[in-house]
Amino acid sequence: MASPAIDARGVDKYFGRFQALDGLDLTVETGRIAGFLGPNGSGKSTTIRVLLGLLKADGGTVRLLDGDPWKDAVTLHRRLAYVPGDVALWPNLTGGQAIDLLGRLRGGLDKARKEDLLARFELDPTKKARTYSKGNRQKVALVAALASDAELFILDEPTSGLDPLMEAVFTRCVLELKERGRTVLLSSHILSEVEKLCDTVTIIRQGRTVESGTLEDLRHLTRSSVRATVIGDPRALGALTGVHDLAADGDRVSFDVDNEHVDTVMRALTALGVRSLVSNPPSLEELFMRHYGDETAVLDGDGGNAK
Amino acid sequence: MSALTGTGTLTRFILRRDRVRLSVWTLSLVGVTAMTVPTLDETFSTPAQRQARAALMETPTGVVFGGPGYGLDDYTLGPMMVNEMTMSLLIALAVMSILHVIRHTRAEEESGRAELLRAGVLGSGAQMTAALVTIASINLLIGGLTGAVMAGYGLETVDSLVYGLGLGLAGLTFGAITAVCAQLTEHGRAASGLAFLAVGVLFMARVVGDLAEEGGNALSWASPFAWVQQTRIFDDPRWWPMALYPLAIALLFGVAYALARRRDLGAGLIPGRPGPAEAGPLLNGVLALHLRQQRGAIIAWSVAVFLFAISFGTLATEVEGMLEQNPDIVALLGDASDDATAGFLSVMSGYVIMAAGAYAALSVLRARSEETAGRAEVVLATAVGRIRWYGAALAVSVLSATLIVVLGGLGIGIGAFAVTDDSSWIGTMLEAVLSQLPMALAFGALSALVVGVAPRLTSLVWVWLGYSVFATMLGALLGMPDWALELSAFGILPRPPLDDFDVVPVAIASAVVVAAFAAALAGFRRRDLTTA
Repeated sequence: MASPAIDARGVDKYFGRFQALDGLDLTVETGRIAGFLGPNGSGKSTTIRVLLGLLKADGGTVRLLDGDPWKDAVTLHRRLAYVPGDVALWPNLTGGQAIDLLGRLRGGLDKARKEDLLARFELDPTKKARTYSKGNRQKVALVAALASDAELFILDEPTSGLDPLMEAVFTRCVLELKERGRTVLLSSHILSEVEKLCDTVTIIRQGRTVESGTLEDLRHLTRSSVRATVIGDPRALGALTGVHDLAADGDRVSFDVDNEHVDTVMRALTALGVRSLVSNPPSLEELFMRHYGDETAVLDGDGGNAK
Repeated sequence: MSALTGTGTLTRFILRRDRVRLSVWTLSLVGVTAMTVPTLDETFSTPAQRQARAALMETPTGVVFGGPGYGLDDYTLGPMMVNEMTMSLLIALAVMSILHVIRHTRAEEESGRAELLRAGVLGSGAQMTAALVTIASINLLIGGLTGAVMAGYGLETVDSLVYGLGLGLAGLTFGAITAVCAQLTEHGRAASGLAFLAVGVLFMARVVGDLAEEGGNALSWASPFAWVQQTRIFDDPRWWPMALYPLAIALLFGVAYALARRRDLGAGLIPGRPGPAEAGPLLNGVLALHLRQQRGAIIAWSVAVFLFAISFGTLATEVEGMLEQNPDIVALLGDASDDATAGFLSVMSGYVIMAAGAYAALSVLRARSEETAGRAEVVLATAVGRIRWYGAALAVSVLSATLIVVLGGLGIGIGAFAVTDDSSWIGTMLEAVLSQLPMALAFGALSALVVGVAPRLTSLVWVWLGYSVFATMLGALLGMPDWALELSAFGILPRPPLDDFDVVPVAIASAVVVAAFAAALAGFRRRDLTTA
């Protein structure tokens, strides 16, 4: 297998005394769509700026498309496209002019694809950028990036200003990139988006990678939620290892179960006589809450059995 | 709820928000008057000196910058003040009023803050009224203090105070013009551009009218710039032209309110026009992008410097007579000299270099604001390297400053040629400004170095530029010691045609400038990009 499109190991970055990145690891295999999750201020945009060679890492190693993003910025940038989280455009240029300009600076864009994207994103390219809303500025950057023939797309919270219809358009565009074998790094805090699109997920917090792997890998670490209607008294289930947050209301019961204990818990459940059963895989929402919600969990007195 | 509900609260809020900004305007404008009155008094102390100065005010250039020239026959301190200072003060008040009114009306709407406020308990006319109440107060305060300062120096009290009131009302008239402009376009910058254009046209109307006929014709009377001087204050006072201000103000406010009632919040009466859907073939690189961003500013600076240079050049012959009458002028011009014309023109060439230096610095700082706004990030994430992006920005600074310098030298030469019939002045002045070009570029280079290496120290550039301008213009007059004068950027190089051209210092200065540009590029290549 080819070397990864992005391979960052142990990256440190300081702004004065403030440590923005603290030994961050991020690997994205070629042809994959990688989700990059973290709350505001966790270092997502800083990481991306290091990957783009806009910031210089203070420690660790960063490889991007087999190059050094700081030293080989220009050659690497011909092969990638970037959409910033907060798109700033030239107020006196129209959206169409900005798209063409960015395309020319990268080394050309596909005109037919550009027209197609303008139509799909319903963007009016004749308006001056100062009249665009945040969402429309984001569309300008998205059209400029997606109309290019880049190998790697680095998208920093690209849908934060888009409405749900446009988010759906964006989702289809990213899936098309995947069909064409392109690599995508998608930073987001919209979990459903990452869940829908991404092969792998890296979760960071305070400049540190706290979890990374395929969605499947991460789900093994977590719990499924179960809702059931049973004939017997379900309260005894609460005593089983691996069962959390059990709530019983007459014959109805809901609880979470650690995936490694599903087997024993299900046996106990069927022994009670199951009338109906709904089980959901853990959502990314829950993964996320486990990493960012522990302060809340501690406050709720739930800290002890969270792990 | 009336249309004015909440005006009082909003007025206090504006004064709170702009307390520093408005204090600086007030103190600097009143301070300029307070410093100018005694300076004029001391510089032109004998009747002969004063009449020589009055003769200067009768020249076309004197009319452009001075006014219709009332009181020149007996040019005492009062008429002198009115002729020498009025246009500068009115222009400053116009700039202040335009910026203030746009800032608190159209710019608020454009940013969406007005929407937030209007959703609360606030009348539809409250924001404009609060903007106008505050700009009226500040104009009248500045006018009143100016009048009081003049009276304090012993000028006739009534005339001084009426003059101050006239200044304040003129400033408010410009504010009222701006209030109308703010209704027309959707964008603050377009609205203030429109207001500046309107004020510029009114200024030119007064100039053309006053040049066409002594004391001004109908065209002058159409301009608020004329009315305060048309009262013939300190000369042969007549007060009725003052009544034109309240009339114009009432009319303009009426129009502004009527227009405001007819439109939606955020909408303009002139709808924004769509632009091209595709970039033209010229917009194909970073140099084109930087030039595009500064196109308007470069044209405006070049034209302004060229026109001012021509008008300074036409003074070439007047100076000799003036110097014979008043040796103190030599101090004002910064240099004792046997050849008055050459001395005067070399000082004027220094002004051109100052303007070009200021633009060279501004131009580089535009690159810095591209960076902090996040637009540099978008470009540098494409196949554009640091050196190419920053190098193009510095090239624009160098090219535009050079253009301004050449036009300035050409302008002085043409002006001097027009009054002396000696065409060699054009070549002489071009050589003069070009030999000082490194000093104009030095400010671009210094800005470049600061932005490239230590962007936080940007304001230092303005400290040195401000000091240099101050020392050059007033240093000799104030009797500053030589070493202090030599700290000025404009004191470093010899200044032809008065001084002889000397290749050594010019070569050294050029080498320093080139080295600073190179160090700036190297620094920018190495540092992190900062985004606010």
